[in-house]
Amino acid sequence: MGIRIKEDGSSKNKILLTSILFMGLGHIIYLKQYVKGIIYAAIEVLMLYMLPKVISKISGVITLGTPKPEVPIKLRDHSIFMLIDGVMVLAIVLLFFVIYLISVRSALSEYKIFCVQKKLKNNRDSMRGLLGKAFPIFGLAPSVGLIVFFVVVPLVFSAFVAFTNYSAPNNIPPNNTVDWVGFDNFTAMFGGDATWTTALGRVAIWTLVWAVLATATCYFGGLIMAVVLMDNRLKIAPIFRGIFILPYAVPSVVSMLIWQNLLNGSFGTVNRTLIKLRIIEKAIPWLSSDWMAKFTCVMVNMWAGFPYFMLLITGTMTAISSDLFEAARIDGANRFQLFRKITLPLVLYQTMPLIIMSFTYNVNNFGAIFFLTGGDPVVADSTVTSAGGTDILVTWIYKLTVNLMKYNYASVLAIMIFIILAPFAIFQFVRTKSYREGEL
Amino acid sequence: MRRNVTKKINMVIVVLFLSIFSLGVLYPLVYVLSAAFSPGNGVASLSIIPFGDGFTTAHFKELFTNTNYVIWFKNTLFIATCTSALTILVASLGAYVFSRFRFAVKKTLMLTMLILQIFPSFVGMIAIYVILLRIGGLDQLWGLVLVYLAGNIPYNTWMVKSYMDTISKSIDESARIDGANHLTIFWKIIMPIAKPIIIFLGITSFTAPWMDFIFPKMILRSTDKQTLALGLFSFVTDKKNEFTIFAAGSILVAIPFVIFFIITQKAMVTSFGGAAVKE
Repeated sequence: MGIRIKEDGSSKNKILLTSILFMGLGHIIYLKQYVKGIIYAAIEVLMLYMLPKVISKISGVITLGTPKPEVPIKLRDHSIFMLIDGVMVLAIVLLFFVIYLISVRSALSEYKIFCVQKKLKNNRDSMRGLLGKAFPIFGLAPSVGLIVFFVVVPLVFSAFVAFTNYSAPNNIPPNNTVDWVGFDNFTAMFGGDATWTTALGRVAIWTLVWAVLATATCYFGGLIMAVVLMDNRLKIAPIFRGIFILPYAVPSVVSMLIWQNLLNGSFGTVNRTLIKLRIIEKAIPWLSSDWMAKFTCVMVNMWAGFPYFMLLITGTMTAISSDLFEAARIDGANRFQLFRKITLPLVLYQTMPLIIMSFTYNVNNFGAIFFLTGGDPVVADSTVTSAGGTDILVTWIYKLTVNLMKYNYASVLAIMIFIILAPFAIFQFVRTKSYREGEL
Repeated sequence: MRRNVTKKINMVIVVLFLSIFSLGVLYPLVYVLSAAFSPGNGVASLSIIPFGDGFTTAHFKELFTNTNYVIWFKNTLFIATCTSALTILVASLGAYVFSRFRFAVKKTLMLTMLILQIFPSFVGMIAIYVILLRIGGLDQLWGLVLVYLAGNIPYNTWMVKSYMDTISKSIDESARIDGANHLTIFWKIIMPIAKPIIIFLGITSFTAPWMDFIFPKMILRSTDKQTLALGLFSFVTDKKNEFTIFAAGSILVAIPFVIFFIITQKAMVTSFGGAAVKE
């Protein structure tokens, strides 16, 4: 082909234009990198071939199907399949545009190299470059594919559902279709519907209180145990440490179900024992009275969670230099002052990131609530909203999807969790080494 | 002299406090151990004193003959092993690329992963359900493995990447001069050096599926595809209370975990401490 480009950089627009016109065209016509160009072109051809399907899938997201009560159920529009297919197609289209952008940028950078070196890369060089670049693509493809289809698409889908009326009894495909309703779910949850609004307020506050209390009790429980067991005058400390680690080693589903049975109000072992010992007269409603159940959740969670922090704090404490203590002791500090002024600040500082991680973990701690109380006891609005006294946002989401099939409200809650957790995500991001070193 | 006495009294108080606390920690565990060997069914009929009802191994026999316990165990083991192996492979390969290459969308990808890792996977569980339905992964063990694997990747890729960043790049440079390609460098040089973090990753991704409930509950339907968590839960639902069989089953799962934790206790303390300092 007789098409030439100038070496002084003035052909930049030509390359930009051809590359935008059709993916890989710039590579083929001007840069003579046929393999790369043909791969890019093939991607675009494939995309163009799929275009009618892409358009129909995306329009499916917009309409979400039309109700056809007269046809058999199998032939009716399935709004949810349409929504998910649409979201997946959107993801693919987005991926396509990213590749497009990469192809244009690649053409421009190749041209820049040409201007400097004054000659085109021969095909062998460009092939070698291609193989070098193939490794990152090959290495990341599984991660990106899995994340797009099993993490991003589901999250986007959830966010979309919050703006539809996907809920029982009237809008469950395949019998009926689902429609876009704008912010209706949000207005209903935030003031529009008194029952749901009170339930949401109640559950959201309890989720935060729970997360704070669960983290704090586990942390200070672990701290006290770590400090007491660090005392080197205590010869049998390893035995106690071995005992205290046990709750952490038992799978949490198992330990929560054990406690659920032991604490059962009428036939649970704890109540029967206390009555036998004449410590109490009447059975204590561990799991069946609202406040008592909340208290029990925190306590049982502490039982299961303090060993983690005990291990962690023991680890950080052993790392504190003994010179510090030595110097303080010479200055006449007593044991309590040593702890108060040296150990505690250092341990707190070093474990702060893990306290915050533990907080976010507890916001989502499904197991600790679900297997212990199942979200019960029933409160005033439970019959309508299914949210019990100890339900936190995640267990409520579970109940809304599995029991009530109110997917729209469940999605609103998912978005709320997003809002609660977002500051912590930012915190974690700022904390990373890559961010501090300017890599990101 | 007097100081010595107060010291001794203090010591006694501390030991007493620790002993009472240990009692509270051990109580449910000992009780479950005794329930597993006690005759009877529900928690209501059990004596309040551990091992107060006599001794029987009938519940273990029942587990292996009349329930699907062995199948549950095999299924869970399969899921955990696959999840762990695939997580190691995919996450470390991705981490290697992020740590050693510069490419167009690197920053965007890393940032996306960082943001995604804070969301629990079940926020999108309806969508995951439908996607699995679409690709035929519903009621299949591999469907569950895919879900766990995808959920594991964002956080663990970051974790392994941070570790690989600390490995000197001159090591792979000299290997490249000797003619090694990327795959060889990754597999023969970087992976062995990154062994500590890989082992940590393997263990955490192996243990997590044993305790998960939501996804198996949603994805697995047929009786021969249940996992341990589902099976154990089915013993103590509202409809029936077979606490003794539940106890027997729980103990069989918990014992390997407990032994493992006690053996690795020291290593865990240091690795936790290390993680806290390094970040």
